Amino acid sequence: MAERKWGMAHIFASFNNTIITITDLSGAETIAKSSGGMVVKQDRNESSPYAAMQLATSAAEQALDKGVMGVHVRVRAPGGNGQRSPGPGAQAAIRALSRAGLKIGRIEDVTPVPHDGTRSPGGRRGRRI
Amino acid sequence: MIEYLKVPKDRIGVIIGTHGSTKAQIEEKGEVMLDIDSVEGTVSIESDSLSILNATEVINAIARGFSPEKAFRIFEDEQITLDIIDLSKVTDTPKELKRIMGRIIGKEGRTREALENLTGANVSIYGKTVSTIGYVDQIQTVRKAIEMLAEGSKHAAVYSFLERKRQELKRSQMDYLE
Repeated sequence: MAERKWGMAHIFASFNNTIITITDLSGAETIAKSSGGMVVKQDRNESSPYAAMQLATSAAEQALDKGVMGVHVRVRAPGGNGQRSPGPGAQAAIRALSRAGLKIGRIEDVTPVPHDGTRSPGGRRGRRI
Repeated sequence: MIEYLKVPKDRIGVIIGTHGSTKAQIEEKGEVMLDIDSVEGTVSIESDSLSILNATEVINAIARGFSPEKAFRIFEDEQITLDIIDLSKVTDTPKELKRIMGRIIGKEGRTREALENLTGANVSIYGKTVSTIGYVDQIQTVRKAIEMLAEGSKHAAVYSFLERKRQELKRSQMDYLE
């Protein structure tokens, strides 16, 4: 706990899971990580806000131990041809991070958006929703 | 930190409210500063990044057709979120979109009302989107129901699906927190 530094919290929130990786500012060194499956028993609860809260807290504790004082947040949905808005866990995770004692810096959406990539699934008539 | 939002012009008035009352409420409850450009239809929100998150959802909810009172549920309970379903990708023709909208709304709004009553969420249909305010499991149920309606399921089938889900939700709330 000698130096107090900033980190990055990468939050991937889909409808099936939430994954948090806290790294240093370059993004190359992982400091802490956690995912839905580490805190709940049932697969379908992996994406729930409750699971997100727990896993964010545990990741934040690990990070605080290693001397991280605050994090910039990068939220990401599956993106690409999938859905573009972050799943239910994202908000809960960010809030839990701040409650665990991490300072929250900038929040950024880094969902990958295709610049016209592959054809979207569903065929010509489109998937109904 | 400042965040910019684009809002349909006919919803700008609702965000401001009479003599700015709604705007003042959002600023107070969300601890943010709002700057609304009614000509362009843009809203800029200024605050710390956490408050912005919530305020953005509330403003998006109002922009998607909810009344301010319903949108403020997001401020009141942390678990409540907004979900927006874009129906424009479901169909190719405006005519078919209109037909599906009609199916979701139902005769005199009956289907929409049933969606709200059986799940406990708030549902709003505005333009090409269907938006839901509620807890995550409620949102997922509504999403599934709308998917069924868009695919052409009979209304009766959707109602019985909702009824079944309601029973399930009651039961799952017990083992959810283990």
